[in-house]
Amino acid sequence: MIELNNITKKFDKKVAVQNLDLNIEKGRITMLIGPSGCGKTTTLKMINRLIDSTEGDITIEGRSIYEMDAVDLRRSIGYVIQEIGLFPHMDVFDNIAVVPRLLKWNEKKVRARVEELLDLVTLNSSYAHKYPLQLSGGESQRVGLARALAADPEILLMDEPFGAIDPINRARLHESFISIQEKIEKTIVFVTHDINEAIKLGDKIAIMRSGKLIQYDNVTNILYEPENEFVEQLLGHDRNIKALVLKKNRDYIVQSGFVKVLKSDNPSSIIKAIEGDSRRRAMVVDKDGTFEGLFILEKTRQDAKPRLIFIDDPICVEKNNNLQETFSLMIEAGESSLPVVDTRKKFLGVINLEDIFNEFKEQDR
Amino acid sequence: MIWQYMVEHQQRIMTLVLQHFMLFAVSMAFTLLFGMVISIYAGREKALQVGETILSITAAAQAVPSVAVVALVFLFIGIGATPAIVALVIYSLVPIVFNATSGLLSVDSKIIEAARGTGYTDRQILWKIKIPIATPVIMAGIRSAATINIGTATVAAVIGGGGLGDLIFTGIKLNRDHIIIIGAVLTSLIAIIIDTLFFYLEKRVTPRGLQVKR
Repeated sequence: MIELNNITKKFDKKVAVQNLDLNIEKGRITMLIGPSGCGKTTTLKMINRLIDSTEGDITIEGRSIYEMDAVDLRRSIGYVIQEIGLFPHMDVFDNIAVVPRLLKWNEKKVRARVEELLDLVTLNSSYAHKYPLQLSGGESQRVGLARALAADPEILLMDEPFGAIDPINRARLHESFISIQEKIEKTIVFVTHDINEAIKLGDKIAIMRSGKLIQYDNVTNILYEPENEFVEQLLGHDRNIKALVLKKNRDYIVQSGFVKVLKSDNPSSIIKAIEGDSRRRAMVVDKDGTFEGLFILEKTRQDAKPRLIFIDDPICVEKNNNLQETFSLMIEAGESSLPVVDTRKKFLGVINLEDIFNEFKEQDR
Repeated sequence: MIWQYMVEHQQRIMTLVLQHFMLFAVSMAFTLLFGMVISIYAGREKALQVGETILSITAAAQAVPSVAVVALVFLFIGIGATPAIVALVIYSLVPIVFNATSGLLSVDSKIIEAARGTGYTDRQILWKIKIPIATPVIMAGIRSAATINIGTATVAAVIGGGGLGDLIFTGIKLNRDHIIIIGAVLTSLIAIIIDTLFFYLEKRVTPRGLQVKR
């Protein structure tokens, strides 16, 4: 889709990007990552000609961008930067409508498109007439994304778009970004310095250092076959844990090693079942398969009879979430096994910590 | 006594007020024109040194007293309404150029980059992004230029510019306090009215998005 052929960029004498070859695939998210000054942002800005390369050519679907008018090129490519990039004197509607209006769409079409986009980025239509100063960081970023998508460009360039957002909201934006991309399937080039973000969002990762491309591959290969020490360092010692982001809970569900009871079962039989369970608990699932909670036993004194306790909102995980979150939850809660449900709370089985550990071992091999 | 003088010299006072206002209006019109052209030129992000030089010149020029400017213009051009207007234009240019240039230069470079990356042409960036965002600062400069202009116009009377300064200087020559007071009070009144008008204009033209509360 986008091909960078032997690109070199010099600022005066300083080489920012050196002999870079990069083939960016259509419909995928390509992450550009590296330490500051590695040339990732320069590379991104060369794609929409905010910066012109010193040598080499960039083609989009076979056509050199240097044969196109720079302004037309930019209007055909979505561009997202940190939240500060919204125009403060325009309301949300006008911000999103920028490119359609530059392209002289009629107002009716613009209106319909803005509404569609607000919906896509899950902002209520009442936001249309708010101003950037009145938005939170996360909301601004959604508007920024909507603005970039306004004229339905094939390509989206994103320059650390979530950099200024706090971790909790960033995780939320990541989720909605992933689900938006599933719908729109744009070719996205995304600059970040956060390796976790790169692993979580990227289909492919291009690692850069001092203007050179060090490794360019899909996320799994980068994690399991780092090219050199530099990449290993970038991934960190916990790359095994990071790799868990790529795994889904649904692939690690086991159906054995736990007991399942109905809430209405005879208490003494439940107690008996729990006493026979290695983790001393029983999953409570109703006749339709819906997960209701857990029974555990509580012994107050050595000789006293154990008492049955029902927990109606135990920690459980959803089958489509990633294994890293499940792992963190287990560590946090001190549980070595968690029940798994689907979005409708249907009980599917459990995930065990030892299976996650086995995953680590497999990765080390 | 004041009242009596005003009634007796009604005609003359009215003429002087009108003259004063004309000095203000004509010189402000030229100042706005020149000021904006200079500031747009100086406020380009591509030529930062030009902007910074102009900023330091205007910052220093703000310390020059108005009488000095009037005197210099008299030396080079002579007397009459035209030199008076020239002096006023030069003197009021300073706050306008200073504010407008610094306003244009202080527009966040990230916003300009976002605009360029979105597909605005350089001209569109100027008119649709930079000028609207710099409006509060530009307008503050225009407003202070306007009040300074009204005040300086009295000094212009020294070189035959006419206006309410005539009244004040007549009062001084004849040693008549009430004439001085009439001239001074009328000048101040006009200055206050103009300042208030520009205050509302400033509110009016500043984009709403820059005025909202978080």
